Order: sequence, then C-alpha cells, then structure tokens
Amino acid sequence: MLRVLVAVSVLGSAQAWAQVEEPTVMNAVQERTYRMQHELSLGVGVLPLDPYSKGIYAQFAYTAHFSDTFAWQVARGAYNYTAKTSLRSQIERDFGFLPTAFDEIQFFVGTNVVWTPIYGKLSVADRWDVHGEVFLTAGATLFSYTRVFRPGVNLGLGGRVFLSRALSLRFDLADNVVIPVGASAPNLGNVMELTLSLALNLGATE
Amino acid sequence: MQRALLVLWVSVAAISQAQVADLENPGSVSAIQERPFRMKHELDLSFGVLPIDAFYVGLYGQVGYTAHFSDTVAWQIGRAAYNYAAQTGLRKELETRYGVIPTAQDEVQFFLGSDLIWTPLHLKFAVLNRWVLHGEVFLITGATVFKFTNSFRPAVNVGLGARVVLTPNVGFRLDVTDNVVIQASSTAAPVMNVMATTLSLAINFGAAE
Amino acid sequence: MSALKSRLVAFFVLGSSMSFAQGAAAALADAGVGDAAAVAAAGSAPTGAAPPATPAAAQPRKIDPRIFDSALNDYFTGHPKDAAPKLFDYTENLPSTDENYAWAQFFLAKSLIELNLRHAGAVYLARIARERSNPAVLPKALEELQKLTDLPHDEVMIDEQVFGALDLGFLPEEVAGYAHYQQGLVDLRVGNERWATTHFSKLTEGSAEASRAKYAMLVTRLRSAKRDLPKEMVDQFFELAKDEKLTQEARNDAVLAVARLRYEQQDFKGALEAYGLVKLAELDTGRATLYLEEAWTRYQLGQVHAAMGLLTTLDAPSFREEFLPDKYLLKALIYRDLCHYLPAKRSAKELTRKYAESLEAVREREDLTTDNRLLRAASARGTTKRARKFLESLELEGEQLGRYAGTFGDRMFGYMTRLYDLARAEGQRVYAERLNASVRVEADKLLRAAEQVRLMEYEVGLKLYERVKRGSKLVPLLEEEPVKPDQVAFKFVDEYWNDELRDYRFSLKSRCIEETAR
Repeated sequence: MLRVLVAVSVLGSAQAWAQVEEPTVMNAVQERTYRMQHELSLGVGVLPLDPYSKGIYAQFAYTAHFSDTFAWQVARGAYNYTAKTSLRSQIERDFGFLPTAFDEIQFFVGTNVVWTPIYGKLSVADRWDVHGEVFLTAGATLFSYTRVFRPGVNLGLGGRVFLSRALSLRFDLADNVVIPVGASAPNLGNVMELTLSLALNLGATE
Repeated sequence: MQRALLVLWVSVAAISQAQVADLENPGSVSAIQERPFRMKHELDLSFGVLPIDAFYVGLYGQVGYTAHFSDTVAWQIGRAAYNYAAQTGLRKELETRYGVIPTAQDEVQFFLGSDLIWTPLHLKFAVLNRWVLHGEVFLITGATVFKFTNSFRPAVNVGLGARVVLTPNVGFRLDVTDNVVIQASSTAAPVMNVMATTLSLAINFGAAE
Repeated sequence: MSALKSRLVAFFVLGSSMSFAQGAAAALADAGVGDAAAVAAAGSAPTGAAPPATPAAAQPRKIDPRIFDSALNDYFTGHPKDAAPKLFDYTENLPSTDENYAWAQFFLAKSLIELNLRHAGAVYLARIARERSNPAVLPKALEELQKLTDLPHDEVMIDEQVFGALDLGFLPEEVAGYAHYQQGLVDLRVGNERWATTHFSKLTEGSAEASRAKYAMLVTRLRSAKRDLPKEMVDQFFELAKDEKLTQEARNDAVLAVARLRYEQQDFKGALEAYGLVKLAELDTGRATLYLEEAWTRYQLGQVHAAMGLLTTLDAPSFREEFLPDKYLLKALIYRDLCHYLPAKRSAKELTRKYAESLEAVREREDLTTDNRLLRAASARGTTKRARKFLESLELEGEQLGRYAGTFGDRMFGYMTRLYDLARAEGQRVYAERLNASVRVEADKLLRAAEQVRLMEYEVGLKLYERVKRGSKLVPLLEEEPVKPDQVAFKFVDEYWNDELRDYRFSLKSRCIEETAR
C-alpha cells in the first residue's frame, strides 16, 4: 500500500515538475513573539554635546505602532536639568561672565517617525534568548532655551531589548540640528540626545 | 497570620498552575544550529571617532589583528591608529564671544593597543523580515598607549562591541570603548577619558564552518 | 508594407535554428499535402474531435488585408492591446489558406499571452498545431506552447492533444524532446511501457527530458513491482537526485522517493540520510510532508527528541492549515514512550477535536468536498492541485478580460468571453472529477489515523492506572546530546524562524518506571 502511495505521489510530482510555482515571498520570521502596539515610555537622558553645560533630562513619550516596522512617536516631552561644565565655571569665575550669558535648554517637546527594519535575538549561554530590535527615527523637536524657543530637526538611531511582551528597555541616540532663532543664536547648532527609557507596551498582541 | 495565609494560598495556586501548564505542555524546545561562522584570524581595517573632547573631534584610521582561540575568547594582539584632530570651533567661539584665549590643548596623534575579547552572546536578526544575518556581541578590555602632542600616556580601556557577519570571511564590527588615560602627575586630574568608537571591516582568514 | 514584411522575415530567421530551417523545408514535402487537407477539413466541418472549448465563428466579412501589417506594427512597437483585435478580425474574416493566416494566428496568440490571457493564446497556438496551414509557423507555435506548460495550463489540449499526438519528424530538437517525453508519459499512463520506451529512447542523452523520462519509468516500475523492490531501483532514484539537469524541486522529489523507499525497506538510517539531502532555498519553509516523514523516521530510530522537534515545526503558521492527522498520532506515541500519559492522551484527543467536523462528515456520508479541511487537503496535491490552479488561472484571466472590453470590440470580446466560459466549465468538470477521487484518499487517511488514535487512547488509559510494583525505579534518562562548541542554541518561544525549522530539538525527561518501560 505504501509502495502505491509512494508511486502515486512521485508520479504526480513528475507532471508537476514542468510547472513552475509562482514565487512566494519568504518571510524570515513567522509569528513574532514581541509586537508593539501602544507604547508609553519613561526615560532619562543626557545632552552631552554642549561644552558649557551638560543636560540631564527626564522624558515621557507615547508611540503608536502601526506595524512591526513603522511607528509614530506621537509626542515626547522632556524636562532638562543643566549642569555646568568646568569650562563654563572657569569662564564665569575667571572672566566675570554671568550665568545668563550662556543659553541653557530648559525643556523640549517633539514628535518622530520610527522605522524598525531589524528584529533579532541574542543567545545567552545557549540557554536564554533576549529579543530586541533596532530602529531609525526622524522628526522635529522644539527646544525651550533660556530666552527663546528654537526648532530643530532630528535624525537618530535606537534599540530596544524586550523584557517581556509588555515591558522593554529602549535606547535612543538622536542628533538635533537646531535652527538659530534669536539675537544671540549661534549658527546651526547640534543638540545630541542620549535617552534610556523603560517602555510599557499596551495592547500587545501576538 | 491572615496575611501569611493569603500569601501561602496565592503561592500554592501559582505553583499548581505552573504544574498544570507543565502537564499540558511538558518539555522545552530549542533550535540547535551549526554556527554559521567561526572566527580564526581576523584582520580589521577601521575608521573611528574620538568624540568626547570639547575642542576637537578625533577622526582616525586603524589597523588591527585579532587571534580567535575559541568561539568565545580572542586576543586582539595589536591595533594601531592614526588620528586627525578636527577642530570643533569652540576655541574660536571662546575668542570671539567671550574674549577668552584658551591654552594650547593636548591632542591625540596616534595610539596603539592590545585587548582581550570575550564573546558570550551570539546574535541573529532579520532585516525587513526578508534576510537573516548572524553576529555576536562581545566585551573588550585592554591597554592602549596614546601619543598626545607633548607626551605619551598609557590608558586602560573597557568596552563593548558587536559584529555582523556577511559571509564566513567578511563582516562588520563596531567597538565602543572608553579609555581611562593616566595623566602626568603635574596635571589637575589624575585621569581623563578618551572614548573611541570604531567601525571596522573585518576579514576572517582560515575560517572553518 | 515591405518594411513590415521584412521585419516579419527577420523575426522568423533570427528566432529559429538552422536545423529548424532544414526541418521546415523537409516538412513542406511530406506534411504540406496532408496539412492542406487537414486545414480544409478543419475549416469546413468542425466535429466533436475538434479542439475543445472554442466557440463557433460568426459570418466572415470583407476586411482590408493591410490590417495585418498594421497589427504587426502595433505588436512590434509594444502595443499588443491594439494588435489583438486587428489580428482577430483578420483570422475571423480571411480564409485559412491566406498566406498570412497562420502568422496572424501566431501573433494573435502572442498578443493575448502578453495581455495575460494565456489560455486564449494557447487555444490559438494549439489551433496552429492542429491545422498546420503554414509549416513555417508550426515550430514557433510549439515553442510558445512549451513555454506555457511552465504555468497552469490546459493539459488535455496542450499535453495530450498537441504534444501527445504530434508527428515528430520535422520538429527542432528541443520541442521534439518535449513532445517525445509527453508522448511517452501518455503511453505510460495507459500501461504501454514498450511504446513509452521507444519514445524515451529518442530523447537526447543528458537532456532534462531524458532525466524526467528515467524518473517516470522508475515510478511505473515501482508501481508494478510485485514484492521486493530491486535494490538498483533505489540507486537509480538516487542517481536522478544528483542529476544537475533536473530542477532542484525535481531532485528533491527524487531524493524523497529514495527516502520513502528506504523507509519501506526499514533502512531508517538510509532514509534519514536521504532526507538530509533535500535542499531548500534559503528561508524556504519546505513542505510539511518532508518534516512529518523525517519525524517518523527519527522516531523509528529512537531519536524521539529530534522527532518531537520536527513536530514543533509543523505547528508553524505556514503549516497550520496542512492536513496532517499523523502528526497528532506521532506526538501521542512519543509522549507515551516517555511515559507522559496525560499529554499523550491530550495529543491523541487533539486529532479528534481538530478534525471533528471532517470525521462527522465522513460518518454521515455527506459530500466530502463540502468539508473545508478535506477539500483543502485534496486540492493541495498532485493532479487535483494542477486542475485547481488551472481553474484559478482561468477565473483570473476571465476577470482580466473585462479590462479589454472596449479595446477588443464587441465581436472579439464576445468570442473571448464564450471561450473562457467554456474553458471554465470544462476546467470545473475536470477539477470536480479529480477532487472526488482525491478527497476520498484524504478521508481514508483521516479515518485510519482516527482509528489508531482510539487504540492509543485505550492503551494510554491502561498505562495511567497501572500499578507500580515495589522496587521499581525510573529508567535511565535517554541521553540528550549536549550543545557542541560548534553549535549555537536558541530557546524556542513560539516564534518560528524559517532558518531554524529543521533544527528544533525537544527536551523532556522520561518518567518511565523500569519494569514497565517499553
């Protein structure tokens, strides 16, 4: 009986050889375990570039994920605490400049588009897996300086490590090109943000 | 007492739930695959940045050789980098805006080093859910000697890196290390940080699959 | 006009080989008279033996023969949509003895194919093959028909009535090879191995058709082998599996045949070796039957953990709709062998739960083609699958035809609509016929699995309540291979990476008590 079944199956395939199947799209991953939906993130970050002041900020953001690859960080808001660098302290101390001579960022708000082309996993000691993804961001930010508001355009890179379906750690590195507004503004300025957030995923689905 | 009973009740419920799950779906599944690449003799051609200094950004080209003893342990026997210091404009800003003339800064000219590499993590990722690539994540620690404008200074470095393998012989490698440079005793601070971010084209010789 | 004619000649000369030119000249001598008679006969009296599914032609009207040149110009400048109605008018209104008639049919066919109306194009090409009004056109038409066989097509019209019935003396080598192969297959199907051998012996040694012919002969002998399989048969299949002239899919099929035959001979190690030779494209999920068969083979070899790993693969979304009742049975067997009786019972019950509706339909003697699972299973393989695909392509082309209603004009559009309606009706009939047969096979498979599952449940039930004797102890654990240094392990978390599908390994400790262990 098996022999007949073997013969039937191979004879059927002999005819089928002549026909070429329409090529189907090959996915790498079926049924992803970790999928984002509505993301609320709370993070801390630094603004490390300014030689006069280093910023440390707390940020809150909401991101809507439309698919595994495309999301919109609808809004993010951060409040910044400025710490003087030794250079600035020296200038103020030795050359009598007032603190008001230095523009500081007080807070900033922004919105970004997020594109996530990479999803992967790490094998830890052949026993555990850690899943994550890497994404690119682009968007706009509005900075509130001491005396003036300045808009900026940002491009960035980030990564996420999934702790569970609902929780993940997110790391963002973004560079803002700030458009000079105001009399004392320098030329186009760069404000780099480094943010580490804890993200809560609401409505996580399989 | 009541709280203790409640805790006990909840724990028993949780444990029995786990046991039921175990009865329903006993066993675990792993995907065990042949390693898609084995590193052996690695030649790195790199470029990188030294971004931390406020007065200049270092841009360097580097060559390095790493011997891999196993899948997890390797020795970056030697690396050598030549640095170009691109001025940030801070000096000019201090002069024009604040009327301050800073003293001459020591800049990194070149540096040599050697590191130990430990690779505990194997990485696999899908790009746009179409292609699968492999890589690894490693920790790196070692020593570097920096040649500044006026002196040589040793440093200890610790860092993190990742490798993405395109073929068993070619891949890309990213290293982010922090060098703690030991300063001359005459300076104010005993140590200073030089962070190096290096992107390399890694060529693997003698690779066995 | 002369420019167009010269373009036509250039197309003819460039597209054909020297041997074709010589063959065409020879064919004129012996086929010309016969063909003219055939054309006259076909033109005057379409009979029941005429090609299927072609609607009756309307009354001819007078048209300007220069329309042919205009149509050719449209075709060669990349406007098949404009060329097609002109060529249709030409073929409908000029006699078949016209010097350009066959060319008009040919370019009409080409235009229709370029407009994705492949079946309509095939009908015209088949007509050229049958009528043979112009021997110069015939080889080109056959080449085009042969290309169409790579996609879902009318097998009766093309494979049997054209290639299966051709006089082969004058054809170029490539087309002749395909025709000989098809004619050999037809002979094999009706049980005439000697005539098939005659056809296959004419195939060029080393050609793809020769390899396919060897495969077909092996399969026929396999069917007719009485008791023990000759050892050389497995070796011959194995040779085919290494034949570079076959497509990868064909080689995979040959390797699977080797694996299945070795399994039947209880050479499980050899079968496993053969499964390992199946090559899949990167990230290709492969076929469910491959994993299931390999799982059974590993089970027979005692590699229960690897077997269970392969069953995990069959839970992937790409295989979820596959009809695999054996999967639950094997899972239950493995759990039983590891003395996990509750999961064994649960796995067995999973079959009756998942296929409850299908089993009910079988018991109630309902029309099995109305059961979705059985229908899907029956339509997924062999001749039924091909019939389904052809029917789907006809339906798609029929819908696409609507886009050309305005361009084709009422007459042509009406003709094409009727042509597709007839083809669809015939395709539906063929599909229904094949489906009825194959759905019974699938139902039989399901019933056998359900019966075995019932036995399994009974056996497991007995084991569950068996007394444990004093002094019994756990059997030594089945040694699981540790992860080697040149391997890497990823824990499975209900996420299926296509490159891992063949590499899953299951880990579960045995709970068997020594005295009662298998």
